Amino acid sequence: MNRKRSAALFCTIAFTAGTLAGCTGSGAPAKEESAGAGNNTPLEVTIATPQVGEAPKKGSDIEQAMEKYTNAKIDIQWIPDAAFEDKKNIMIASSEMPKAFKVKANASTLNAIQSGLFWEIGPLLKEYKNLSELSPMYYDNIKVDGKLYGLPLYRDIGRAGIVYRKDWFDALGLKPPVTLDDWYNVAKAVAEKDPDKNSQADTYGFFLDKNYNDPVQSNSFMTRLSVPNGAPNKWGVENGKIVAEFMTQPYMDTMKLLRRMFQEKLINQDFSIVQTADSDNKWNAGKVGIRVNTVVTASATSFDNVSKSTPNAVVDVVPFTGPSGLKIPAETGNNGFYLFPKSSVKTEAELKRLLGFFDKLLDADMSTLLTRGVEGKHFTKTADGKAQFKDLTLFNLEVKPYRDSLPSFETTGKGIPLKQNELQAKGSKIAAENLQSVVPNVALTFNSQTYTEKGVELDNMIRDAQTKYIMGKIDDAGWQAELDKWLKAGGQKVIDEYTAEYAKTKK
Amino acid sequence: MPMNDKTFSNKMFDGVNYALLTLISLITIIPFIYIVSVSFASPSEVVKGGLLLVPTEFTLSAYKYIFSTGTMVKSIGVSIYVTALGTMINLMLTSITAYPLARPTLRGRRTLMLMILITMLFSGGMIPTYFVVKSLGLINTYWSLMIPTAISAFNLVVLKNFFQQVPDGLEDAARMDGCNDIGILFRIVLPLSMPAMATFGLFYAVGHWNTFFNAVIYINDSDKWPVQVVLRQIVLLSQDRIGDSTSQSDPADYLPQTIRMASIVVATVPIVLVYPFLQKHFAKGVLLGSVKG
Repeated sequence: MNRKRSAALFCTIAFTAGTLAGCTGSGAPAKEESAGAGNNTPLEVTIATPQVGEAPKKGSDIEQAMEKYTNAKIDIQWIPDAAFEDKKNIMIASSEMPKAFKVKANASTLNAIQSGLFWEIGPLLKEYKNLSELSPMYYDNIKVDGKLYGLPLYRDIGRAGIVYRKDWFDALGLKPPVTLDDWYNVAKAVAEKDPDKNSQADTYGFFLDKNYNDPVQSNSFMTRLSVPNGAPNKWGVENGKIVAEFMTQPYMDTMKLLRRMFQEKLINQDFSIVQTADSDNKWNAGKVGIRVNTVVTASATSFDNVSKSTPNAVVDVVPFTGPSGLKIPAETGNNGFYLFPKSSVKTEAELKRLLGFFDKLLDADMSTLLTRGVEGKHFTKTADGKAQFKDLTLFNLEVKPYRDSLPSFETTGKGIPLKQNELQAKGSKIAAENLQSVVPNVALTFNSQTYTEKGVELDNMIRDAQTKYIMGKIDDAGWQAELDKWLKAGGQKVIDEYTAEYAKTKK
Repeated sequence: MPMNDKTFSNKMFDGVNYALLTLISLITIIPFIYIVSVSFASPSEVVKGGLLLVPTEFTLSAYKYIFSTGTMVKSIGVSIYVTALGTMINLMLTSITAYPLARPTLRGRRTLMLMILITMLFSGGMIPTYFVVKSLGLINTYWSLMIPTAISAFNLVVLKNFFQQVPDGLEDAARMDGCNDIGILFRIVLPLSMPAMATFGLFYAVGHWNTFFNAVIYINDSDKWPVQVVLRQIVLLSQDRIGDSTSQSDPADYLPQTIRMASIVVATVPIVLVYPFLQKHFAKGVLLGSVKG
């Protein structure tokens, strides 16, 4: 049903896009003059972005402050997350696009980009001080056919870390796990030695949820656990050919470990159906030793949440090291990106001014505004020149929507640094150090026709097989058979297509 | 002995009946009770997990949070407006369309019915429909939530069949007394069809109250969103994983479950309140005895 609908949608979009491209061509010259007329007139910036929290009122304090600093007139359209994709398709089809359009990388976005609806911004970036000084990895990860169209909403690239209950580990004489055997021992000790002392076997070393083997996200537990042990991040290279992570030995070792733990009831038996929120709740209720589905910068939050149910809990965070040292999967480093449609941004001059607007948002003043709010209202300055939140609820209501939807860096930006408690500081430090030792997903920006068409189906096949294997429903031979089935169903074609793309980049 | 047997099996039957029905009603009612009680409980109590049917610590903090900004109140206002006006439009248009189609004297009514039935099987699709709404100038107005859904083909067909069952004799009598077609519809047929009108009114009203997708597609201005859009946002927001990719890490990102549940209560209670008022119409058999054979 869904697939049919989206297929029909693409045809419509492609068709409409063609028609509309014709229309805009004729109307462009007249508008060009007015856009180039005076650069002192405030730049009109219309933005469409998925809604974060409550939609702030138009013309709020923050918007006004931004307008003043950047000499712009800002109009943000907040779109509810739940229907964002449909709305996006409609806006593309009806050419009612804003000047800056926040999207996520997926098949329909890719399609729209490839049909030439958006400006390429890659060659222009060097003119902007803030945008150009950032790690090229942020931009490389969202390139389409080697060209950059999007301005990313920057996020940390190396976010994995081990957040664990230090009080339990100390009491049981454990250390944060490094090798796979360590993980086993930790899980065994926590499951069997009753660290919460309620005489019930209700504690887990770690609690898996159904996204443990998410085939797309580099922050899935399987990937986080197997990369430090030598597995690739989703896709790797062996002898000049692309391989899927689940075809490598280190990944298999991780699966074998989970299989053994499942048999011995050291991990939750219902892991294949548990929602992420439920596994968060298990941690919050003080039943879990290591939190696996969180980012390292959330360690302080993890501590807050578990303290509500277990006041004497002690939480600590360490980097995700493996036998070969610190090695973690690189995540995409963005939460979607802004595209600049040709239908609403008529000239290159206007595009340059728009990029200038986004560049200015990373300046110190704007960075402070977007990540800390207004001084005296949302934060106060401490004696050593750091920002301390005054009213977090107010901040979340009035500032957070902008912070999360516009380019900003919460901890590494140019704004006033945030006063952090020990755990927060530790988490941020690990995230920053992680950046040096990330393992990138080799095939992240590669195109595969087969994957675009059948990716969901292929992914589900392999996910089911993994779950079956861990639950002991199939043995090694059964797994091999499932893998062969996957290769035949299109997996081999995906690998070949990725390998061809990879060969192109090596030339 | 046989007598005893019968009462015994009767008793058995009753017993099983009661047990089964109690079980089924518990299955339906417990989630509601759970939602309501969580909405009044303190977040720390909810975090501990388990089935919470009566909160030990009664607090209104979740409701205070919801009403701390005008967003929820405003969206409820929007929903009430759209539901009330929209349902009136629905009933009006559906009945004046269904009535002629129910009269055998209307020429070409088979073709008309066919054209209506086709829309039940095929729809224009999301983007073409959007273009129609857009060229009518309805984008970003409340009308976009009422006009495109003004007549449901299914309800129309059922209502037409209902009208057909109104005895011809009643109409003949009215005509004899000098009533025209419109008079017959409004004075005779509609008053006799109150159970049907109540039913369809409820269908339509619930539909309007639950409108989500159209609102997201047609309404760009966040001030004009109906309650379901806001509710969805709140519920989704609190499902957010801490520090997941949509937000940068932040201690207060996480809305407690209590707020989630309280918003569900606030968004559901108004429409539930409508049911008791329509109850009486469902029970009545108005047509009984109106025509003497």
